[in-house]
Amino acid sequence: MSAMPAVVAINTFREAVRDRVLYNLIFFALLMIGASILVGEISVGIERLVIINLGLAAISIFGLIMAVFIGVGLVYKEIEKRTLYSLLAKPIRRGEFLVGKYGGLLLTLVVNTSLMTLGLAVALFYVGRPFLRSDASILIAVYFIVLELALVTALALFFSCFSSPVLSTLFTLGIYLTGMFAADIRDFGDLTRNPVVQGVARLLYYLVPNFHNFNAIAAAAHGETIPLTLVLHNTLYTLLYVTLVLLAASAVFSRRDLK
Amino acid sequence: MTFSSQTRPVWSAIVGVPLLFALIALLQVRIDAQTRSVAQQKQEMLLRSGTLLRKLSLGYDSLLSDIYWTRAVQYYGARVGTPQANFELLWPMLDLATTLDPKLMAAYRFGAIFLSETGNAGAGRTDLAVQLIKRGIAANPDQWRLGTDLGFLYYWRLQDYPDAAAAYLEASKNPQAPAWVKLMAARVAEKGGSFETSRAIWFQLYDSTSDPNIRRKATEQLRGLRAREDQMQLDELAKQYQKSYRRLPVSTKELLEAGLLNGIPVDPEGFPYVFGPDGKSHLDPASSFVIPPEPSLPAAPK
Repeated sequence: MSAMPAVVAINTFREAVRDRVLYNLIFFALLMIGASILVGEISVGIERLVIINLGLAAISIFGLIMAVFIGVGLVYKEIEKRTLYSLLAKPIRRGEFLVGKYGGLLLTLVVNTSLMTLGLAVALFYVGRPFLRSDASILIAVYFIVLELALVTALALFFSCFSSPVLSTLFTLGIYLTGMFAADIRDFGDLTRNPVVQGVARLLYYLVPNFHNFNAIAAAAHGETIPLTLVLHNTLYTLLYVTLVLLAASAVFSRRDLK
Repeated sequence: MTFSSQTRPVWSAIVGVPLLFALIALLQVRIDAQTRSVAQQKQEMLLRSGTLLRKLSLGYDSLLSDIYWTRAVQYYGARVGTPQANFELLWPMLDLATTLDPKLMAAYRFGAIFLSETGNAGAGRTDLAVQLIKRGIAANPDQWRLGTDLGFLYYWRLQDYPDAAAAYLEASKNPQAPAWVKLMAARVAEKGGSFETSRAIWFQLYDSTSDPNIRRKATEQLRGLRAREDQMQLDELAKQYQKSYRRLPVSTKELLEAGLLNGIPVDPEGFPYVFGPDGKSHLDPASSFVIPPEPSLPAAPK
Protein backbone atom coordinates (compact mmCIF):
# COMPACT_ATOMS: atom_id res chain seq x y z
CA MET A 1 0.00 0.00 0.00
CA SER A 2 1.31 3.48 -0.85
CA ALA A 3 1.80 6.44 1.48
CA MET A 4 -1.35 8.07 0.08
CA PRO A 5 -3.69 6.98 2.93
CA ALA A 6 -1.36 8.69 5.41
CA VAL A 7 -1.45 11.89 3.34
CA VAL A 8 -5.27 11.77 3.22
CA ALA A 9 -5.37 11.05 6.98
CA ILE A 10 -3.16 14.04 7.84
CA ASN A 11 -5.27 16.31 5.63
CA THR A 12 -8.49 15.01 7.18
CA PHE A 13 -7.07 15.74 10.64
CA ARG A 14 -6.00 19.25 9.57
CA GLU A 15 -9.43 19.88 8.11
CA ALA A 16 -11.10 18.82 11.35
CA VAL A 17 -8.87 21.17 13.33
CA ARG A 18 -9.60 23.97 10.83
CA ASP A 19 -13.32 23.28 11.26
CA ARG A 20 -12.87 24.00 15.00
CA VAL A 21 -13.91 20.48 15.93
CA LEU A 22 -11.63 20.56 18.96
CA TYR A 23 -13.67 23.44 20.39
CA ASN A 24 -15.70 20.76 22.20
CA LEU A 25 -12.76 20.63 24.59
CA ILE A 26 -13.86 23.97 25.99
CA PHE A 27 -17.24 22.48 26.93
CA PHE A 28 -15.48 19.49 28.44
CA ALA A 29 -13.20 21.75 30.49
CA LEU A 30 -16.18 23.78 31.73
CA LEU A 31 -18.04 20.58 32.62
CA MET A 32 -15.09 19.26 34.61
CA ILE A 33 -14.52 22.56 36.42
CA GLY A 34 -18.24 22.86 37.22
CA ALA A 35 -18.44 19.27 38.49
CA SER A 36 -15.28 19.60 40.58
CA ILE A 37 -16.62 22.66 42.35
CA LEU A 38 -20.29 21.70 42.61
CA VAL A 39 -20.36 18.01 43.48
CA GLY A 40 -18.81 18.47 46.91
CA GLU A 41 -21.55 20.99 47.67
CA ILE A 42 -24.56 19.01 46.51
CA SER A 43 -23.70 15.39 47.24
CA VAL A 44 -22.11 13.21 49.91
CA GLY A 45 -19.22 10.77 49.59
CA ILE A 46 -18.99 10.58 45.80
CA GLU A 47 -16.77 13.52 44.74
CA ARG A 48 -14.13 11.24 43.25
CA LEU A 49 -16.69 8.87 41.71
CA VAL A 50 -18.58 11.66 40.00
CA ILE A 51 -15.46 13.21 38.51
CA ILE A 52 -14.44 9.84 37.03
CA ASN A 53 -17.96 8.83 35.93
CA LEU A 54 -18.77 12.23 34.47
CA GLY A 55 -15.35 12.62 32.86
CA LEU A 56 -15.43 9.21 31.18
CA ALA A 57 -19.08 9.59 30.15
CA ALA A 58 -18.33 13.00 28.62
CA ILE A 59 -15.28 11.63 26.78
CA SER A 60 -17.47 8.86 25.41
CA ILE A 61 -20.47 11.06 24.49
CA PHE A 62 -18.42 13.87 22.91
CA GLY A 63 -16.39 11.28 21.00
CA LEU A 64 -19.51 9.48 19.78
CA ILE A 65 -21.08 12.72 18.56
CA MET A 66 -17.90 13.58 16.68
CA ALA A 67 -17.48 10.07 15.27
CA VAL A 68 -21.06 9.91 13.98
CA PHE A 69 -21.59 13.46 12.74
CA ILE A 70 -18.16 13.92 11.16
CA GLY A 71 -17.93 10.29 10.03
CA VAL A 72 -21.14 10.41 8.00
CA GLY A 73 -19.93 13.48 6.12
CA LEU A 74 -16.43 12.26 5.33
CA VAL A 75 -17.17 10.90 1.87
CA TYR A 76 -20.37 12.83 1.19
CA LYS A 77 -18.64 16.21 1.68
CA GLU A 78 -15.88 15.30 -0.78
CA ILE A 79 -18.48 14.34 -3.39
CA GLU A 80 -20.61 17.45 -2.73
CA LYS A 81 -17.63 19.79 -2.98
CA ARG A 82 -16.37 17.83 -5.97
CA THR A 83 -12.91 17.61 -4.39
CA LEU A 84 -13.11 13.83 -4.61
CA TYR A 85 -12.74 13.91 -8.41
CA SER A 86 -9.43 15.76 -8.34
CA LEU A 87 -8.25 13.45 -5.55
CA LEU A 88 -9.14 10.28 -7.41
CA ALA A 89 -7.39 11.60 -10.50
CA LYS A 90 -4.18 11.13 -8.51
CA PRO A 91 -2.59 7.67 -8.08
CA ILE A 92 -4.81 6.66 -5.18
CA ARG A 93 -7.28 3.82 -5.05
CA ARG A 94 -10.75 4.37 -3.62
CA GLY A 95 -10.04 1.91 -0.82
CA GLU A 96 -6.89 3.81 0.11
CA PHE A 97 -8.84 7.04 0.12
CA LEU A 98 -11.35 5.52 2.56
CA VAL A 99 -8.61 4.16 4.82
CA GLY A 100 -6.99 7.62 4.81
CA LYS A 101 -10.27 9.34 5.68
CA TYR A 102 -10.89 6.81 8.43
CA GLY A 103 -7.37 7.23 9.81
CA GLY A 104 -7.71 11.02 9.79
CA LEU A 105 -10.92 11.03 11.79
CA LEU A 106 -9.55 8.40 14.16
CA LEU A 107 -6.46 10.57 14.71
CA THR A 108 -8.72 13.54 15.47
CA LEU A 109 -10.69 11.45 17.95
CA VAL A 110 -7.54 10.10 19.61
CA VAL A 111 -6.10 13.63 20.01
CA ASN A 112 -9.45 14.88 21.35
CA THR A 113 -9.77 11.94 23.76
CA SER A 114 -6.17 12.35 24.98
CA LEU A 115 -6.71 16.03 25.75
CA MET A 116 -9.96 15.27 27.58
CA THR A 117 -8.20 12.54 29.59
CA LEU A 118 -5.62 15.12 30.59
CA GLY A 119 -8.49 17.40 31.67
CA LEU A 120 -9.95 14.56 33.72
CA ALA A 121 -6.59 14.02 35.43
CA VAL A 122 -6.39 17.74 36.28
CA ALA A 123 -9.94 17.67 37.70
CA LEU A 124 -9.08 14.63 39.85
CA PHE A 125 -5.97 16.39 41.08
CA TYR A 126 -8.06 19.49 41.87
CA VAL A 127 -10.49 17.57 44.10
CA GLY A 128 -7.48 16.56 46.14
CA ARG A 129 -7.29 12.97 45.14
CA PRO A 130 -3.82 11.43 44.92
CA PHE A 131 -3.15 9.27 41.88
CA LEU A 132 -3.26 5.60 42.74
CA ARG A 133 -2.07 2.41 41.11
CA SER A 134 -5.71 1.45 40.47
CA ASP A 135 -6.06 4.53 38.24
CA ALA A 136 -4.62 2.40 35.45
CA SER A 137 -8.20 1.15 35.04
CA ILE A 138 -9.25 4.73 34.12
CA LEU A 139 -6.72 4.68 31.29
CA ILE A 140 -8.01 1.27 30.19
CA ALA A 141 -11.58 2.63 30.24
CA VAL A 142 -10.41 5.52 28.03
CA TYR A 143 -8.73 3.01 25.72
CA PHE A 144 -12.01 1.06 25.48
CA ILE A 145 -13.79 4.32 24.57
CA VAL A 146 -11.25 4.84 21.76
CA LEU A 147 -11.95 1.28 20.52
CA GLU A 148 -15.68 2.01 20.61
CA LEU A 149 -15.15 5.23 18.65
CA ALA A 150 -12.99 3.38 16.12
CA LEU A 151 -15.86 0.99 15.49
CA VAL A 152 -18.51 3.74 15.30
CA THR A 153 -16.33 5.76 12.89
CA ALA A 154 -15.94 2.72 10.61
CA LEU A 155 -19.71 2.20 10.59
CA ALA A 156 -20.42 5.88 9.89
CA LEU A 157 -17.90 5.82 7.05
CA PHE A 158 -19.43 2.65 5.64
CA PHE A 159 -22.93 4.15 5.52
CA SER A 160 -21.63 7.43 4.12
CA CYS A 161 -20.32 5.51 1.09
CA PHE A 162 -23.81 4.90 -0.25
CA SER A 163 -26.20 7.09 1.67
CA SER A 164 -26.96 10.71 2.57
CA PRO A 165 -25.61 12.12 5.88
CA VAL A 166 -29.07 12.11 7.50
CA LEU A 167 -29.73 8.47 6.66
CA SER A 168 -26.15 7.49 7.51
CA THR A 169 -26.58 9.09 10.94
CA LEU A 170 -29.79 7.16 11.50
CA PHE A 171 -28.22 3.89 10.35
CA THR A 172 -25.11 4.37 12.50
CA LEU A 173 -27.10 5.30 15.61
CA GLY A 174 -29.46 2.39 14.91
CA ILE A 175 -26.57 -0.08 14.76
CA TYR A 176 -25.04 1.52 17.87
CA LEU A 177 -28.26 1.13 19.86
CA THR A 178 -28.77 -2.42 18.59
CA GLY A 179 -25.19 -3.16 19.65
CA MET A 180 -25.83 -1.74 23.11
CA PHE A 181 -28.88 -3.97 23.53
CA ALA A 182 -27.32 -7.03 21.81
CA ALA A 183 -27.21 -9.08 25.00
CA ASP A 184 -30.87 -8.25 25.72
CA ILE A 185 -31.88 -9.32 22.22
CA ARG A 186 -30.15 -12.67 22.81
CA ASP A 187 -31.79 -13.02 26.23
CA PHE A 188 -35.26 -12.17 24.87
CA GLY A 189 -34.74 -14.84 22.21
CA ASP A 190 -33.86 -17.37 24.92
CA LEU A 191 -37.02 -16.44 26.83
CA THR A 192 -39.26 -17.39 23.89
CA ARG A 193 -38.20 -21.09 24.02
CA ASN A 194 -38.73 -21.12 20.26
CA PRO A 195 -35.59 -22.60 18.58
CA VAL A 196 -36.03 -20.47 15.42
CA VAL A 197 -36.39 -17.19 17.33
CA GLN A 198 -33.57 -18.21 19.63
CA GLY A 199 -31.35 -18.95 16.62
CA VAL A 200 -32.17 -15.62 14.93
CA ALA A 201 -31.59 -13.70 18.17
CA ARG A 202 -28.26 -15.45 18.71
CA LEU A 203 -27.22 -14.81 15.12
CA LEU A 204 -28.08 -11.13 15.55
CA TYR A 205 -26.11 -11.08 18.79
CA TYR A 206 -22.96 -12.26 17.03
CA LEU A 207 -23.53 -10.15 13.90
CA VAL A 208 -24.00 -6.69 15.39
CA PRO A 209 -21.05 -5.00 17.07
CA ASN A 210 -21.47 -5.58 20.80
CA PHE A 211 -20.75 -2.11 22.14
CA HIS A 212 -21.38 -3.22 25.70
CA ASN A 213 -17.96 -4.94 25.57
CA PHE A 214 -16.35 -1.53 25.80
CA ASN A 215 -18.15 -0.31 28.91
CA ALA A 216 -15.62 -0.13 31.72
CA ILE A 217 -16.66 3.22 33.21
CA ALA A 218 -18.15 1.82 36.43
CA ALA A 219 -15.20 -0.53 36.95
CA ALA A 220 -12.76 2.35 36.48
CA ALA A 221 -14.70 4.59 38.86
CA HIS A 222 -14.50 1.96 41.59
CA GLY A 223 -10.82 1.27 40.92
CA GLU A 224 -11.46 -2.33 39.93
CA THR A 225 -8.83 -4.25 38.03
CA ILE A 226 -9.70 -4.78 34.39
CA PRO A 227 -8.15 -8.05 33.17
CA LEU A 228 -5.52 -7.68 30.48
CA THR A 229 -7.10 -10.56 28.57
CA LEU A 230 -10.24 -8.43 28.19
CA VAL A 231 -8.08 -5.59 26.83
CA LEU A 232 -6.53 -7.98 24.34
CA HIS A 233 -9.88 -9.50 23.34
CA ASN A 234 -11.54 -6.11 22.88
CA THR A 235 -8.60 -4.89 20.80
CA LEU A 236 -8.77 -7.95 18.53
CA TYR A 237 -12.56 -7.71 18.32
CA THR A 238 -12.32 -4.07 17.21
CA LEU A 239 -9.51 -4.76 14.74
CA LEU A 240 -11.46 -7.59 13.12
CA TYR A 241 -14.75 -5.70 13.03
CA VAL A 242 -13.18 -2.48 11.69
CA THR A 243 -11.32 -4.45 9.00
CA LEU A 244 -14.58 -6.13 8.01
CA VAL A 245 -16.52 -2.86 7.86
CA LEU A 246 -13.77 -1.00 5.97
CA LEU A 247 -13.51 -3.84 3.45
CA ALA A 248 -17.27 -3.66 2.95
CA ALA A 249 -17.09 0.14 2.64
CA SER A 250 -14.27 -0.16 0.13
CA ALA A 251 -16.23 -2.73 -1.91
CA VAL A 252 -19.33 -0.50 -1.98
CA PHE A 253 -17.38 2.68 -2.72
CA SER A 254 -15.30 1.05 -5.48
CA ARG A 255 -18.48 0.07 -7.29
CA ARG A 256 -20.19 3.40 -6.78
CA ASP A 257 -20.82 5.45 -9.91
CA LEU A 258 -19.56 8.92 -9.06
CA LYS A 259 -20.68 10.61 -12.28
CA MET B 1 -25.82 58.09 8.00
CA THR B 2 -25.59 60.08 11.26
CA PHE B 3 -23.84 58.93 14.43
CA SER B 4 -27.11 58.47 16.28
CA SER B 5 -28.63 56.36 13.52
CA GLN B 6 -25.49 54.16 13.56
CA THR B 7 -25.54 53.60 17.30
CA ARG B 8 -29.32 53.23 17.64
CA PRO B 9 -29.38 49.47 16.89
CA VAL B 10 -26.61 48.89 19.44
CA TRP B 11 -28.47 50.79 22.16
CA SER B 12 -31.71 49.03 21.25
CA ALA B 13 -29.95 45.71 21.67
CA ILE B 14 -28.36 46.69 25.01
CA VAL B 15 -31.74 47.70 26.39
CA GLY B 16 -33.96 45.31 24.47
CA VAL B 17 -32.14 42.00 24.96
CA PRO B 18 -32.01 42.11 28.80
CA LEU B 19 -35.63 43.28 28.80
CA LEU B 20 -36.69 40.35 26.64
CA PHE B 21 -34.76 37.93 28.85
CA ALA B 22 -36.40 39.44 31.93
CA LEU B 23 -39.82 38.88 30.34
CA ILE B 24 -38.87 35.30 29.44
CA ALA B 25 -37.73 34.66 33.04
CA LEU B 26 -40.98 36.12 34.39
CA LEU B 27 -42.97 33.91 32.06
CA GLN B 28 -40.94 30.86 33.13
CA VAL B 29 -41.76 31.55 36.78
CA ARG B 30 -45.47 31.56 35.87
CA ILE B 31 -45.11 28.32 33.87
CA ASP B 32 -43.20 26.67 36.74
CA ALA B 33 -45.97 27.59 39.17
CA GLN B 34 -48.55 26.01 36.88
CA THR B 35 -46.60 22.83 36.14
CA ARG B 36 -45.08 22.12 39.59
CA SER B 37 -47.72 19.58 40.55
CA VAL B 38 -47.37 17.81 37.19
CA ALA B 39 -43.58 17.68 37.57
CA GLN B 40 -43.91 16.16 41.06
CA GLN B 41 -46.26 13.54 39.69
CA LYS B 42 -43.87 12.77 36.85
CA GLN B 43 -40.96 12.38 39.26
CA GLU B 44 -42.85 9.82 41.29
CA MET B 45 -43.89 7.87 38.23
CA LEU B 46 -40.47 7.86 36.59
CA LEU B 47 -38.52 6.85 39.64
CA ARG B 48 -39.44 3.23 40.13
CA SER B 49 -37.77 0.69 37.82
CA GLY B 50 -34.02 0.46 38.38
CA THR B 51 -33.62 -2.49 36.03
CA LEU B 52 -35.31 -0.64 33.18
CA LEU B 53 -33.30 2.51 33.85
CA ARG B 54 -30.13 0.45 33.80
CA LYS B 55 -31.03 -0.90 30.37
CA LEU B 56 -31.90 2.53 29.06
CA SER B 57 -28.76 4.17 30.44
CA LEU B 58 -26.70 2.92 27.45
CA GLY B 59 -23.73 2.04 29.61
CA TYR B 60 -23.73 5.26 31.60
CA ASP B 61 -25.44 3.54 34.55
CA SER B 62 -22.78 4.48 37.08
CA LEU B 63 -23.12 8.19 36.19
CA LEU B 64 -26.90 7.90 36.42
CA SER B 65 -26.46 6.26 39.82
CA ASP B 66 -24.38 9.24 41.00
CA ILE B 67 -27.18 11.52 39.81
CA TYR B 68 -29.84 9.55 41.71
CA TRP B 69 -27.69 9.44 44.84
CA THR B 70 -27.19 13.21 44.62
CA ARG B 71 -30.95 13.60 44.21
CA ALA B 72 -31.48 11.43 47.30
CA VAL B 73 -29.07 13.62 49.28
CA GLN B 74 -30.87 16.75 48.09
CA TYR B 75 -34.28 15.20 48.81
CA TYR B 76 -33.19 14.25 52.34
CA GLY B 77 -31.48 17.60 52.93
CA ALA B 78 -34.57 19.54 51.87
CA ARG B 79 -36.79 17.68 54.36
CA VAL B 80 -34.61 16.88 57.35
CA GLY B 81 -35.55 18.93 60.40
CA THR B 82 -38.82 20.19 58.94
CA PRO B 83 -42.04 19.51 60.88
CA GLN B 84 -43.99 16.47 59.59
CA ALA B 85 -41.13 15.67 57.20
CA ASN B 86 -42.17 13.10 54.62
CA PHE B 87 -39.35 10.92 53.24
CA GLU B 88 -41.60 8.79 51.05
CA LEU B 89 -39.35 8.91 47.97
CA LEU B 90 -36.07 8.32 49.83
CA TRP B 91 -36.19 4.53 49.55
CA PRO B 92 -37.08 4.47 45.80
CA MET B 93 -34.20 6.87 45.12
CA LEU B 94 -31.72 4.78 47.13
CA ASP B 95 -33.09 1.64 45.51
CA LEU B 96 -32.46 3.15 42.06
CA ALA B 97 -29.00 4.46 42.91
CA THR B 98 -27.86 1.09 44.25
CA THR B 99 -29.51 -0.90 41.44
CA LEU B 100 -27.76 1.28 38.85
CA ASP B 101 -24.42 1.00 40.63
CA PRO B 102 -24.35 -1.85 43.17
CA LYS B 103 -20.89 -0.72 44.28
CA LEU B 104 -21.89 2.80 45.32
CA MET B 105 -20.82 2.54 48.96
CA ALA B 106 -21.90 6.07 49.90
CA ALA B 107 -25.51 5.26 48.99
CA TYR B 108 -25.54 2.20 51.27
CA ARG B 109 -23.71 3.73 54.22
CA PHE B 110 -25.24 7.22 54.32
CA GLY B 111 -28.54 6.03 52.87
CA ALA B 112 -28.99 3.60 55.79
CA ILE B 113 -28.50 6.48 58.21
CA PHE B 114 -31.02 8.67 56.35
CA LEU B 115 -33.53 5.80 56.41
CA SER B 116 -33.03 4.77 60.02
CA GLU B 117 -33.06 8.19 61.70
CA THR B 118 -36.31 8.81 63.53
CA GLY B 119 -38.59 11.83 63.99
CA ASN B 120 -37.94 14.65 61.58
CA ALA B 121 -34.30 13.55 61.16
CA GLY B 122 -35.06 10.65 58.83
CA ALA B 123 -37.54 8.20 57.43
CA GLY B 124 -37.68 6.08 60.62
CA ARG B 125 -37.50 2.93 58.50
CA THR B 126 -34.79 0.82 60.08
CA ASP B 127 -36.28 -2.21 58.32
CA LEU B 128 -35.46 -0.63 54.95
CA ALA B 129 -32.05 0.50 56.20
CA VAL B 130 -31.27 -3.12 57.16
CA GLN B 131 -32.52 -4.27 53.75
CA LEU B 132 -30.30 -1.69 52.02
CA ILE B 133 -27.19 -2.69 53.96
CA LYS B 134 -27.87 -6.41 53.42
CA ARG B 135 -28.16 -5.73 49.70
CA GLY B 136 -24.86 -3.83 49.85
CA ILE B 137 -23.17 -6.74 51.63
CA ALA B 138 -24.47 -9.17 48.99
CA ALA B 139 -23.12 -6.97 46.17
CA ASN B 140 -19.85 -6.08 47.95
CA PRO B 141 -18.78 -9.02 50.12
CA ASP B 142 -15.28 -7.54 50.38
CA GLN B 143 -16.51 -4.40 52.20
CA TRP B 144 -16.35 -5.20 55.94
CA ARG B 145 -17.61 -1.70 56.87
CA LEU B 146 -21.09 -2.61 55.64
CA GLY B 147 -21.10 -5.47 58.14
CA THR B 148 -20.30 -3.10 60.99
CA ASP B 149 -23.01 -0.73 59.72
CA LEU B 150 -25.47 -3.61 59.91
CA GLY B 151 -24.26 -4.39 63.42
CA PHE B 152 -24.78 -0.75 64.35
CA LEU B 153 -28.37 -0.79 63.03
CA TYR B 154 -29.21 -3.97 64.94
CA TYR B 155 -27.55 -2.71 68.09
CA TRP B 156 -28.60 0.92 68.26
CA ARG B 157 -31.82 1.09 66.31
CA LEU B 158 -33.36 -2.32 66.93
CA GLN B 159 -31.64 -3.24 70.21
CA ASP B 160 -31.32 -6.72 68.77
CA TYR B 161 -28.02 -7.65 70.41
CA PRO B 162 -27.71 -11.28 69.18
CA ASP B 163 -28.15 -10.15 65.52
CA ALA B 164 -25.80 -7.20 66.11
CA ALA B 165 -23.13 -9.55 67.48
CA ALA B 166 -23.67 -11.91 64.52
CA ALA B 167 -23.28 -9.00 62.06
CA TYR B 168 -20.02 -7.86 63.67
CA LEU B 169 -18.76 -11.45 63.76
CA GLU B 170 -19.56 -11.92 60.06
CA ALA B 171 -17.78 -8.65 59.21
CA SER B 172 -14.75 -9.73 61.26
CA LYS B 173 -14.31 -12.76 58.98
CA ASN B 174 -13.19 -10.40 56.20
CA PRO B 175 -9.37 -10.49 56.06
CA GLN B 176 -9.32 -6.71 55.62
CA ALA B 177 -11.36 -6.09 58.80
CA PRO B 178 -9.40 -4.63 61.72
CA ALA B 179 -9.13 -6.50 65.02
CA TRP B 180 -11.66 -4.31 66.81
CA VAL B 181 -14.54 -5.74 64.74
CA LYS B 182 -14.08 -9.17 66.31
CA LEU B 183 -13.72 -7.60 69.75
CA MET B 184 -16.93 -5.67 69.13
CA ALA B 185 -18.73 -8.90 68.23
CA ALA B 186 -17.65 -10.43 71.54
CA ARG B 187 -18.48 -7.30 73.52
CA VAL B 188 -21.97 -6.94 72.01
CA ALA B 189 -22.66 -10.63 72.64
CA GLU B 190 -21.50 -10.34 76.24
CA LYS B 191 -22.64 -6.87 77.28
CA GLY B 192 -25.32 -5.78 74.81
CA GLY B 193 -27.02 -2.58 75.90
CA SER B 194 -24.24 -1.41 78.25
CA PHE B 195 -22.92 2.14 78.17
CA GLU B 196 -19.45 0.80 77.53
CA THR B 197 -20.53 -1.07 74.39
CA SER B 198 -22.69 1.78 73.10
CA ARG B 199 -19.79 4.18 73.55
CA ALA B 200 -17.44 1.85 71.68
CA ILE B 201 -19.91 1.54 68.79
CA TRP B 202 -20.43 5.29 68.45
CA PHE B 203 -16.71 5.90 68.73
CA GLN B 204 -16.03 3.45 65.90
CA LEU B 205 -18.72 5.11 63.77
CA TYR B 206 -17.07 8.49 64.40
CA ASP B 207 -13.72 7.05 63.49
CA SER B 208 -14.92 5.33 60.32
CA THR B 209 -16.08 8.45 58.49
CA SER B 210 -14.82 11.87 57.55
CA ASP B 211 -18.33 13.18 56.91
CA PRO B 212 -18.85 16.16 59.27
CA ASN B 213 -22.60 15.48 59.74
CA ILE B 214 -22.07 11.89 60.87
CA ARG B 215 -19.18 12.91 63.10
CA ARG B 216 -21.35 15.62 64.69
CA LYS B 217 -24.11 13.09 65.23
CA ALA B 218 -21.68 10.60 66.80
CA THR B 219 -20.23 13.34 69.05
CA GLU B 220 -23.75 14.29 70.18
CA GLN B 221 -24.53 10.67 70.99
CA LEU B 222 -21.25 10.18 72.85
CA ARG B 223 -21.91 13.30 74.93
CA GLY B 224 -25.48 12.13 75.53
CA LEU B 225 -24.24 8.71 76.67
CA ARG B 226 -21.84 10.37 79.09
CA ALA B 227 -24.65 12.51 80.54
CA ARG B 228 -26.98 9.50 80.87
CA GLU B 229 -24.27 7.48 82.59
CA ASP B 230 -23.52 10.40 84.96
CA GLN B 231 -27.20 10.71 85.84
CA MET B 232 -27.57 7.00 86.44
CA GLN B 233 -24.61 7.00 88.82
CA LEU B 234 -25.90 10.14 90.60
CA ASP B 235 -29.30 8.47 91.05
CA GLU B 236 -27.58 5.48 92.67
CA LEU B 237 -25.57 7.78 94.94
CA ALA B 238 -28.76 9.65 95.85
CA LYS B 239 -30.24 6.35 97.07
CA GLN B 240 -27.12 5.71 99.18
CA TYR B 241 -27.35 9.24 100.58
CA GLN B 242 -31.01 8.66 101.48
CA LYS B 243 -30.08 5.51 103.42
CA SER B 244 -27.52 7.43 105.50
CA TYR B 245 -29.34 10.76 105.99
CA ARG B 246 -33.02 9.66 105.70
CA ARG B 247 -33.71 12.31 103.08
CA LEU B 248 -32.97 12.85 99.40
CA PRO B 249 -30.10 15.13 98.37
CA VAL B 250 -31.01 18.52 96.88
CA SER B 251 -27.67 19.10 95.14
CA THR B 252 -24.50 17.31 94.09
CA LYS B 253 -22.67 19.49 96.62
CA GLU B 254 -24.39 17.51 99.41
CA LEU B 255 -23.11 14.25 97.88
CA LEU B 256 -19.61 15.75 97.81
CA GLU B 257 -19.86 16.85 101.46
CA ALA B 258 -21.07 13.36 102.39
CA GLY B 259 -17.92 11.92 100.79
CA LEU B 260 -19.86 10.09 98.08
CA LEU B 261 -18.26 12.15 95.28
CA ASN B 262 -14.69 13.25 94.70
CA GLY B 263 -15.75 16.34 92.74
CA ILE B 264 -18.81 18.05 91.30
CA PRO B 265 -19.80 16.27 88.07
CA VAL B 266 -20.80 18.54 85.20
CA ASP B 267 -22.74 17.95 82.00
CA PRO B 268 -21.03 18.26 78.57
CA GLU B 269 -21.77 22.01 78.63
CA GLY B 270 -20.04 22.42 82.02
CA PHE B 271 -23.16 22.84 84.21
CA PRO B 272 -23.49 20.78 87.43
CA TYR B 273 -26.37 18.30 87.49
CA VAL B 274 -29.32 19.16 89.71
CA PHE B 275 -31.70 16.95 91.72
CA GLY B 276 -35.46 17.00 91.49
CA PRO B 277 -37.79 16.49 94.50
CA ASP B 278 -38.00 12.78 93.55
CA GLY B 279 -34.23 12.40 94.06
CA LYS B 280 -33.58 11.94 90.35
CA SER B 281 -30.74 13.92 88.76
CA HIS B 282 -31.45 16.26 85.83
CA LEU B 283 -29.63 18.70 83.59
CA ASP B 284 -29.44 22.24 84.92
CA PRO B 285 -32.22 24.27 83.21
CA ALA B 286 -29.56 26.88 82.43
CA SER B 287 -27.60 24.33 80.40
CA SER B 288 -28.17 24.37 76.66
CA PHE B 289 -27.22 20.71 76.39
CA VAL B 290 -29.97 18.36 75.26
CA ILE B 291 -29.59 14.61 75.65
CA PRO B 292 -30.32 12.96 72.28
CA PRO B 293 -33.40 10.75 72.46
CA GLU B 294 -32.86 7.04 72.88
CA PRO B 295 -33.64 5.05 69.75
CA SER B 296 -37.21 4.01 69.29
CA LEU B 297 -38.27 0.88 67.50
CA PRO B 298 -39.05 1.36 63.80
CA ALA B 299 -42.47 1.32 62.23
CA ALA B 300 -43.69 -2.09 61.16
CA PRO B 301 -42.66 -2.92 57.58
CA LYS B 302 -45.29 -2.15 54.97
